Amino acid sequence: MTTLAVRGLEKRYGGIAALDGCSFDIDGPGIYGFIGPNGAGKTTLFDVIAGATSPDSGEVAVDGRRVRGFAPHRLARLGIARSFQECRVFPEYTCLENLHFSRLALGARPDMQEAERLLQLVGLEAYASEPASSLSFGQRRLLEIVGTFLQRPRVLLLDEPSAGVNPALLEVLTAFILKMYEERPSVFLLIEHNMEFIMGLAAEIIVLHQGAVLERGNPQAIQASPRVIEAYLG
Amino acid sequence: MAQALLEQVINGLMTGSIYVLVALGMVLIYGVMHVLNFAHGVLFMVGGYLCHFFFTRLTGSYPLALVLSMAALALIGVAIERSVFRPLQGNLRNQVIASLGLILVIENLVIALWGPNALQLRTAATERLVAIGELRFPMQHVMIIALTAIVVAAMFGFLKWSKFGTALRATSQDRSAAMVVGIPVERVDMASFALGTALAALGGALVGPLFLVFPQMGDAPMVKGLAGILLGGMGSVPGAVIGGLIIGVAESVSTLFLPTDYRDSIAFAIMVAILLVRPRGLFGLRVRGEA
Amino acid sequence: MTRGLITAAVIAALYLAPMVASPYLLHVLVLSCLYAIPAVGLNLMLGYTGLVSLGHIAFAGIGAYTAAYLMVDVKVGYWAALAIATLAAGGAGAVIGSICLRFRSHFFMIVTLAFGLMLFSVMNNWDDVTRGAAGFPGIPRPAGFAPLESFYRLALSAALLAFAVQWGVVRSRFGLILVALRQDERLAEAKGVNAALYKTAVFALGSALAGAGGVLLVSFLRVAAPGSFTLAESINAVLIVIVGGAGSLAGPALGALLFVGLPEYLRVAAEWRLVIFGLLLVLITLFAPEGLAALLGRLAKRRRR
Repeated sequence: MTTLAVRGLEKRYGGIAALDGCSFDIDGPGIYGFIGPNGAGKTTLFDVIAGATSPDSGEVAVDGRRVRGFAPHRLARLGIARSFQECRVFPEYTCLENLHFSRLALGARPDMQEAERLLQLVGLEAYASEPASSLSFGQRRLLEIVGTFLQRPRVLLLDEPSAGVNPALLEVLTAFILKMYEERPSVFLLIEHNMEFIMGLAAEIIVLHQGAVLERGNPQAIQASPRVIEAYLG
Repeated sequence: MAQALLEQVINGLMTGSIYVLVALGMVLIYGVMHVLNFAHGVLFMVGGYLCHFFFTRLTGSYPLALVLSMAALALIGVAIERSVFRPLQGNLRNQVIASLGLILVIENLVIALWGPNALQLRTAATERLVAIGELRFPMQHVMIIALTAIVVAAMFGFLKWSKFGTALRATSQDRSAAMVVGIPVERVDMASFALGTALAALGGALVGPLFLVFPQMGDAPMVKGLAGILLGGMGSVPGAVIGGLIIGVAESVSTLFLPTDYRDSIAFAIMVAILLVRPRGLFGLRVRGEA
Repeated sequence: MTRGLITAAVIAALYLAPMVASPYLLHVLVLSCLYAIPAVGLNLMLGYTGLVSLGHIAFAGIGAYTAAYLMVDVKVGYWAALAIATLAAGGAGAVIGSICLRFRSHFFMIVTLAFGLMLFSVMNNWDDVTRGAAGFPGIPRPAGFAPLESFYRLALSAALLAFAVQWGVVRSRFGLILVALRQDERLAEAKGVNAALYKTAVFALGSALAGAGGVLLVSFLRVAAPGSFTLAESINAVLIVIVGGAGSLAGPALGALLFVGLPEYLRVAAEWRLVIFGLLLVLITLFAPEGLAALLGRLAKRRRR
């Protein structure tokens, strides 16, 4: 069955169409990259899937269930996890408390061992009991992303995970995401501007342009596509 | 019935004008600094007291006392802006809490200085009556409506055409952009506070002769002014004018059908009901900080 | 461990206070307890969840008048009336809260203020039930608690119960979610929290605590008067929470003690003590936004070093 189906999404802000007939299917586990010029509608698309924005028309279905108009917390309970472009963590909670909250908010028990193991994988174990506000931006980003994995998502939405992350941490992040995929393959959707990063990570790239899907294919095919090149240059 | 209705509409326009003066000041300060100053009502009250002081003790001229109390309140406004609101810039919660503290300080200082009892402020305009059709109103009523109309017109003109008005509008639309193009935003803050508190003083000084001068005289105008702002759409200057007038007229007219005791509740009930349907008020501006 | 011992010692001393304290001091302590109870409710809302309600004490009024009506006009027993009144205030908090919570930040504050004033207007004007501005006289104290000393023990126990509720909430999953909502509501929702539900729940709980405090207050004063539930009293409640330390367990106790006790101690005219408190409030927001509880904690830490 199709894990995530997006059909004819439209969303206008004033006169500007952020989404204009956006449709695609994600059939099974995999790492999918969403790229496109600024204003292509990528973040709006994620906001709609995660319930943060309701579309003017169109439909979203998770595992065949129509979820359009569901509140974010209901979608979280249906297995959708997300990170935010601007990076959000609870600043007063420690790293571990942040991670525990990802389980607790779903009504699950905190998984102490798993939280500590994942913190170690991204090299934040020394900060486990430090408030998140004491981390650097890149570290906060890592913490935020680790938190989304503790939700054990069916569909994971990462909005520009590489933004603001320095090259050393970026390597850690790449390895971490690949390891997480290896351990529990599910649907990972990543919005990215860092082409090198996403081409190395994603098996399939979906290009958005003017609020709709322009092209879809493996990284090599996308990089060679004249339509994509034109969209970026134009 | 028609006569009674007309009488209440005119009464409503008068109280509404007072709410407009309060609302204009608050919306100006809110628009520019994103500060909601709950102490605006006690500043209104201080305006009334100072007008009384200048009128009875110093000048003996009501118009002069009015202007002097506005000037004094402008200075007090600047002092408050610099000492309390500027250091708390960006911290919405603490600004509101500090303004609650200011209410306690100012209201009780006034009680300590002038005592808790109401003072009489007798002016010629309260004694003289004017006829509108078969109805008679104190001159002061007409003066309040007329002066408010003039102030509103002057404000629109000032905001629209003066250089400083342009700077003020720019700052309220986008503070950082205004800073980038070289607008002295801190001076704009100070000026909008001074102007806002001067308008509050004008309200207090105009109402004093009608309803006495007493420590709580600003409470109702402050919350009604707030209701007017919300009704008109937070941050919209024309909205504040129309919202304030609607609240004034609605509560006056409501006394024809409902016990006067519930007049205050009418204003709030209208406000909450309209906001539930139109969360952005009648003139639906986008609220800053909203996605 | 030491903190637990200190708390136990303070509580024991408070229960033994009537043996040494003058009636005047007991009076002050009773009022401190009765101010602390609604403040605990507001602390859960304002301090832990970040909901600045400017109409909190109106819910104390709902509790007070419900109990007054039940006890005097319907002849319901004291404890049953207290329980029903607490539930009524909580229920009103759930309904009014769910309306107020459709608004955010400034709008929320103004709408809570408006509801506070509307409820006050009902208390002040619904003569048939509330007896209007003159107040609702003849509210009893519970059997066996009429003398000041025993009423003090009742007020103290009630206040301690309120603090126990606060402690339980803060340590629970519910409490963690409230604190998360204060820090970042969008993130909490994305993690699976039904924000509206939790905020309504804490509004209802806070209002119920206010209601219970209101019942005890009017039973101490023997009269329920609208003057006890004005906007000024709601502002005082905010002041108590902030000065004591918003979002700290002991904050409301410190705030209430200071608010009721210090002015009595200073013995200056009422207006000057409110001037002082107003200044204190402004200074705390400017220089010690975390309140007195945190300030004391920091001082204690420094001394230990």
